[in-house]
This record gives sequence, C-alpha cells and structure tokens, in this order.
Amino acid sequence: MGSWMVPTAYLLGIGWYFATCIILGVVIGRWADAATGFEPVLTLVGITIGLAVAMVGGIRMLLPFMRRFGTGPTE
Amino acid sequence: MKLVIGLAAFVGVLVWLGIGLVVAQGPQPEIIVPAEVITKVGPLNLTNTLITSWVVMAFMILFFWSATRSMKLMPSGIQNFAEAVIGFLVGQVEEIAGEKNGRKFFMVVATIFLFVICNNWFGLMPFFNAFGKHEDVHHHVFHEITAEHPHDLVLGEDGHYIEGDGFGGWIMEGDGGLITAMPRTKAIEFEVFEGETPGEALDRYVVFVAKHFADFEATDEELEHPSAEMVAAAAARLDGNDGRPHILLGDAHAADDHGSAEAAHGLASPTLHQTITGIDFEGAKKFGLVIPLFRGAFSDVNNTLALGIVAFLCIEFWGFQALGFGYLKKFFNLNGVNAFVGILELLSEFIRIISFTFRLFGNIFAGEVLILMLTFLMPFLFVDIIYGLELFVGFIQAAVFALLTLVFAVGAVEHHGDDEHHEGHHGEDAGADAHNVHGAAAAH
Repeated sequence: MGSWMVPTAYLLGIGWYFATCIILGVVIGRWADAATGFEPVLTLVGITIGLAVAMVGGIRMLLPFMRRFGTGPTE
Repeated sequence: MKLVIGLAAFVGVLVWLGIGLVVAQGPQPEIIVPAEVITKVGPLNLTNTLITSWVVMAFMILFFWSATRSMKLMPSGIQNFAEAVIGFLVGQVEEIAGEKNGRKFFMVVATIFLFVICNNWFGLMPFFNAFGKHEDVHHHVFHEITAEHPHDLVLGEDGHYIEGDGFGGWIMEGDGGLITAMPRTKAIEFEVFEGETPGEALDRYVVFVAKHFADFEATDEELEHPSAEMVAAAAARLDGNDGRPHILLGDAHAADDHGSAEAAHGLASPTLHQTITGIDFEGAKKFGLVIPLFRGAFSDVNNTLALGIVAFLCIEFWGFQALGFGYLKKFFNLNGVNAFVGILELLSEFIRIISFTFRLFGNIFAGEVLILMLTFLMPFLFVDIIYGLELFVGFIQAAVFALLTLVFAVGAVEHHGDDEHHEGHHGEDAGADAHNVHGAAAAH
C-alpha cells in the first residue's frame, strides 16, 4: 500500500465525512421542518449540528497530521 | 518525422474510435440505481448484486482453500501469492495498530479489504452488466396506466396524475432465457405527464407503441398531443401482422377470451370509445430491458451499508472489549464543554456508517455508470482509459474502507484523553498500541 496510503485514506475519509455530516444535517433538518412547520429553524439547527459534528470528527481524524507537521496541539 | 508520427497517432485514434462506433457501440444504458431483482426466494429478493457477492465469496474461499490445502515450507505458485498478500496486509495493519491490536483487528480489516477489492475488480469483468434476463417494460407500463391503484404513478382523487413519470427501455428482439445487451439497441422512453388522465396516457401509449414497433409515422409533438384520428390510425396499425404488436380491444370481460396476461386490466380510450385490454407483443420486437445477472456488489447501497454496519459493530465491540464501560466516558462526560463534545462524538460514530456507505457506493456506482455511458458514446478508446482508472479506484476504495476501519478501531481502544496526552500515561496495551497510529502516520 505504500507510505502514501495511510495519509490518503485519512484525507479521503475526511472529505466524505464532512460532506456526509452537512448533508445529513440539512436533510434531517428539512424533514423535521416539514413535519413540525417550524421552517426554516430546524434546517438551520440541522446545518449547525452537522457542521459541529464535522468539525469535531474532522479534528479527531486530523490530529495525527497536525502532530506530524508540528502545528497541532502539543502536550 | 515528429509531425508524421503525430499525424499517424491522430489518425490511428480516429480509426480506432470509428471502428468502435461502427462495430462495438453498446446499447444506450438505462441507469437504474437500485439493484435489479433476479428472482424471489420466499419474501426475499434475490438481487444481481447479491449474486455477485456470493460469486466473489465463492472465489475467495476457493482461492484460499487452493492456496492452503498443501502448504509447503518453501512456498510457490498460488501459496506464494496468497502468503505475499497476507504478509503485506499483516505488515500494514501491525504498523498502524501495533502488534497486539494489529493481530486482533487483522482478520476483520483484511477481510474487508480483500472482499471489497475482489468485488470492485470483478465488477469490471466484461460479462458484468452485459447479459441477463429479459424484463418486459411494456407490461409494467400498461399495468401502471390501467391499474386502479398504480404502484409507481401517483393518481389524484380527481382522476388526474399528480406527478409525471418516465418508463425507459429498449427496442429488443427475443424474450426468453438469458439474453445479451445487443450493440446498437435503441433506447426509448414513455412519459406520463402530470395533470393528464390515465385514458389520455393510454391513447398516447398506443401511438408510442405504433411508432416504435409498427413503423407508424408520428412526430414528437404528435406523440405528446395526438389527435383522435391519429390514435385511431395508430390503433389500426397495431394489427399483429408482419411482426407488429396486436392491440386487444373490447370490454375487459370479453378480452379474457384472448388469454392475454393483461386481459384482467382494461381501460376505456377517450378517443377510440372502446376499452383497450392489452397490447400483445407476440411475434414482434419487445419493449424491454436486460436485467443483468451480475452487477458490481458495491454499486448497491444495501451492500455498502451492510459492510459499514459490520465495521461499526466491530469498532464498538473492540472499544468495549478494551475499555469496558469506560469506553462510554468518551461520549457521556459531564465535564463542562466536554459534555457537548461527547454528544457530537456520539453522533459522529453513527455518521461514520453513512460516510462509509456513501463513499464506497458513490465511487463504485459512478464508475459503473461512467463505463456504461462511455461504452455507448465512445467505445474502445476512452473506455480503456476509464477501465484503468476504475482498477485504481477499486483498489483505493478497498484500502480506504479497510484503513479507516482500522484507524477508527485504534481510536476506539485508545484511552480517553490520549489524544491530548499521547506521550504520557499508556499503562495498558490498548493505549500503547493505539499510540502507534500516530507514529505510523507521522512516519509517512
């Protein structure tokens, strides 16, 4: 798999992960809005939660890289 | 000299493309997202993607059985190859997860990698998406239009369609046994429009069938808004002679005498003032599709979801195994802002399943569509290039799925807080092994 494989897998995973989080937030928010009639409040809440989850998960996945390049949180 | 070589290459490309377009152009693909049902086993659907995954499983079992049935100290042939693959995978997994955890994770991670890569590469074989059973599109369209409660169409209470829908298929010859997607097969589509009644749709369908299967002259405009005379002329054209379909007229009860499978359904035509009880395609070309017997297993979202759930369950199991109920501290923490972060982490665990699912499905399905479309648009030349690309994508996606499972598993067995203090207090093997993921990543 070569030395490039682990970073590649990480980065490809992060891209899809971000997209999935945000899209899911929007879809669930829109569904909740349609069900409750609060449009667009729950869609905005969904986007916010999606972004927050993407950020937390993304940071967790990126930490090894941040350490590798010396720009991440150090002990 | 360079100019001559360049010119020759250009002409060669054009000739190659021309030969492809003349002799090998595939049928215009009908892109169907869900896996096609080949047969039913009780209440369960046996889909072509499921059949493919079973074939791949059988291949893998046979391969490793052959490789290990008479093992030698000095391996050769198939044993040598299998050992090289397994040795390579063990090395990669141990480098990332450490020896103890690596051995524990290896079986699942290597199985995922091998299963995904075999399925992806099997899906590129020429007989995939190429032959299968005939599906009668006409029967489906006619049933949908004439049924009191259609399945796909949405009929309002006022008797008008609430939504439009399209029914795509090919003009095909033959309808029995296994058939091949014939080169140069023409794709056609019948559309039901929003706001029209089933009777109006049926009249238009009669003209549509007459045009495509009985050489009846009609423009696109006339297909959309046929006059009463045109419907009558089209119906007269469908007389079953010279390989043309035969329209069945009369009341629904009388139509039973024809013995047609469609006789039970019937609908009055607003322009013919008769009930159309069916169109018999016996002896004519068919409005149908090839339902392929084999289709790439991971072009079906059900299979990628299943694999994503398996990966998720394994990761959670290893997390609990390593940390006991302490594993839950990562998600349920009452310490200030960590409480909020914990909930987000819990959500992120579940979103990984969706992320796993759509990453693999999206890549493999898009590749399949790309190959099918290019086989139709530019056979030979560009398909070869895309085949090479898809071999690479198949490998990369298998590696991504397996490696992310491994990396998440390492994260799950890691003590909470190791991220922030990763060179501190790894008292146990789990944490110590987990530390290697950072080391491995850092090494690259």
